[in-house]
Amino acid sequence: MNGPRPSLFTPALVGGAAAGLLSAIPVVNCLCCLWIIGGGALAAHLWAKNNPRPLTSGEGALVGAYAGLIATVIDFLISLPLAAVNAAFFRRVFERLSAYVEEMPAGWERLFDRTGPFEVGWFLFGLVVAAFIFSVLGALGGVLGHSLFGRRSQPAAPQPPVPPPSA
Amino acid sequence: MTGRPRVAAVYAALAVGSAVWVAAVLAAPYFWSRDCRFSLVLYACFSPVCHQMPERSFWLFGHPLAVCARCFGIYAGFLAGLAAYPFVRGFRPAPPPGVRTILLFSLPVAVDTAAQFLGLWKTAAAGRFATGALWGAILPFLFVPALAGLRFPGLKRKPGKLRMTGTDV
Repeated sequence: MNGPRPSLFTPALVGGAAAGLLSAIPVVNCLCCLWIIGGGALAAHLWAKNNPRPLTSGEGALVGAYAGLIATVIDFLISLPLAAVNAAFFRRVFERLSAYVEEMPAGWERLFDRTGPFEVGWFLFGLVVAAFIFSVLGALGGVLGHSLFGRRSQPAAPQPPVPPPSA
Repeated sequence: MTGRPRVAAVYAALAVGSAVWVAAVLAAPYFWSRDCRFSLVLYACFSPVCHQMPERSFWLFGHPLAVCARCFGIYAGFLAGLAAYPFVRGFRPAPPPGVRTILLFSLPVAVDTAAQFLGLWKTAAAGRFATGALWGAILPFLFVPALAGLRFPGLKRKPGKLRMTGTDV
């Protein structure tokens, strides 16, 4: 009943790949964190499906967190060629924001500059922050996925044979 | 040895982390009002998980929060759920809520988000905050048992009915 646990890499990879891909594509990524939560839930569902024993909520959180980390990597890999599109999008967001406020933070235009060490620093900082946030959201998705899809009752223990009544 | 101290430790860590998270959301407009560049860092931290559209955000100190109204509702609801957690469950090891309870708390935000994405209607910021807060409030009851069980695999679950829903899980 408590056999070896199947590897959680493949479910985490599938869930993380789906979440990372959807989080990186412009326009589609407007649903933001929901893709990461969904990826974690998907990973938990896939792992529960292939697991001979019921998944615990902690294991759901674990596989979801791994899916979140994988989503971070895939999101950044896909975002690199789409960086110009995303930068233009966020520049428009800040430009629209500047219409609402009288003063913008000093140097906000340089946030979108794409040359020099400043960009590398922001890239690494963004990667670390995204990895943390995505793993938390993925864990949340994994817990939700376990609650919605991963729980099932353990099969009843086999009953001992009933001895025939004595004559 | 019971699991109560262990659940309490996980609960405390989650409470501190969540408080810092919400504080960061509120601190972004404050630092902006002080013309401090650290505000850009805070806004950048939350950009991967929120569209940060100013017309869909609450404003503080004359500037938008680091996340939209719905996201802020989720985080505030999470904090409120954490505050209620000891009174609803104490720190005993307990199963997570049932599927019906999760769906009941999740349905409003799911329907509202889908409807706005499809352009069926537009919800005011207060409505987005409320639906987000409702969903956020149920999440600690999933997260705390999950993290407590993960960190301490020997933690025994106490069977019985949930105080919240009265349903067996």
